[in-house]
Amino acid sequence: MLREPFCGQRAIHSVSTDNEIIRRSRDSPEVFGELYDRHASVIYRYAARRAGDFAADDVTSETFLVAWEQLETYDLDREDARPWLFGIATNLLRRHHRAEAKVLKAAVKAASRESVADDSDRIAARVDAVVATGRIARTLKLMAAIDRETLLLYAWADLTYEGIAQAMDVPVGTVRSRLNRARRTLRTELRLEILDETENDHGRLAAAPRNA
Amino acid sequence: MDDLQLLREMRSDIGSAPPATLARGRTKLMTRINSASTSGASTDTQGKGSVSPIRFRRRTLLASAAAALLVGGIVVADVVRPMGPGATAEAAEVLNNAAAATIQTADPVVNAGHYLKIQSTNLWGSAAVDENGKEYQWLDTEKQTMYVPANRDDEWVWERSGRIPTTFFDEASKQYVDRIQAGGPEAYVLRGANGAFYGPGSESTFPSSSYLDSLSRDPRALLDDIYQKTSGKGQSVDGEALVFIADLLRTGVVPGDLRAALYKAAALIPGVTVTDEQATLDGRKGIAIGRVENSSHFRQDIIIDPRNGLPLGERQVLTEPRGTMPVGTATSWTTVETTVADTAP
Repeated sequence: MLREPFCGQRAIHSVSTDNEIIRRSRDSPEVFGELYDRHASVIYRYAARRAGDFAADDVTSETFLVAWEQLETYDLDREDARPWLFGIATNLLRRHHRAEAKVLKAAVKAASRESVADDSDRIAARVDAVVATGRIARTLKLMAAIDRETLLLYAWADLTYEGIAQAMDVPVGTVRSRLNRARRTLRTELRLEILDETENDHGRLAAAPRNA
Repeated sequence: MDDLQLLREMRSDIGSAPPATLARGRTKLMTRINSASTSGASTDTQGKGSVSPIRFRRRTLLASAAAALLVGGIVVADVVRPMGPGATAEAAEVLNNAAAATIQTADPVVNAGHYLKIQSTNLWGSAAVDENGKEYQWLDTEKQTMYVPANRDDEWVWERSGRIPTTFFDEASKQYVDRIQAGGPEAYVLRGANGAFYGPGSESTFPSSSYLDSLSRDPRALLDDIYQKTSGKGQSVDGEALVFIADLLRTGVVPGDLRAALYKAAALIPGVTVTDEQATLDGRKGIAIGRVENSSHFRQDIIIDPRNGLPLGERQVLTEPRGTMPVGTATSWTTVETTVADTAP
């Protein structure tokens, strides 16, 4: 396949792009560890944010095993492997949809508890943040999985539209419309859309949330 | 604060992975992926910098088939097309006889609601490097059964035994494996409509009937096409062409007329010989035809049942010692048997 003289060498600490690492690991599997070293922690954190530590542990190791099994399908023109890895992780996270629902439910619950408990004597900003988080959690929970995945790849995984398109194997236009739909739902739930309008019209903030 | 900012702050207190968790994950990953079929990295380093290890191609039946499919679209203009004498007369005779026999062997017919059941036994080399840099080698065996529904859009089922360490060449490697895989592997089952075992986007991982239909049944045209599809891969164009043929045959879904064409195409590949007239693979006997890849010191064999021309499987055999593994070790092999099942588990 490849005839690079460095195939047999152990010196894998040079600065390489992801596609370079992948190309080399097709001949020398030990090089693949470098891709893990680079990206495992962001995959873990993303999965943990979505579905908790237990799921993150599983999703992270499985992501790299699946990546390894699908190594030959990687498009070597792509320097950044993150969209690919996040795409695999996104699929694997679906197995943990119950854990994810639990995480979101806990956030909703925490918010409602907080807003009742601190009703009289509240530290406004903090409570509002919790309340907003509760609303976001509830919205995420009710949202179609595919919209939620798109939104979180954007907001939590920091992928670009193009990156999400690669990760989810859909056209960029689809990513854009999913994101628009998801954000519109989110804004409606947070009443930010209304807020934006009223702010301009009246120069003052509408009702909730106060920290907007 | 806008919606995105609020969303970004949500659960942003989740910290990074504990280093110990990442380290454990890395060890697990590297143990499972390091394969002796490329472990030449360690043995070839000493004084043979210009020799590439055997490329790693054994992962799963599917991954390999996917690779075969993915290169399908690439057309390279200046492909070298060897037009030499092809296989030896003896090998050509074996292959042409097999082609004649196999075309008369009925292919399994899968009726609506039924499944093509592809049972395979797979052997792979494994290697691992421990925390002190010491390298270990052994061979793993995995049994797999794939159920492909008559309608490929329905759910496929893939039973896998997990990789069971079966062959050791030294005591140190055995002890290492006992230490890190105390419980042994767990069997597991994957499911997915259209073979998308790993979620959407992983569907097209097995040769479809339209792909199989698209391949020429004319041996010369087929071989030229294979040279194009494999251009730039492997150690040599001829070696890679034979690997492509072996990979495709071991999917277990190649229809008789294409099997025949693949055999005849193999007969046109220079360097192909009869490598073992009494080959035994996983207890089954057949004739092995193969080709030695000098630059990476292995031989690719295809083992054929001479009675019906069906491919029993294929293997890669070392032509020089590698680490603890002696000459003649099959560092990977696959046997495959295809039948029809009424139901899937």
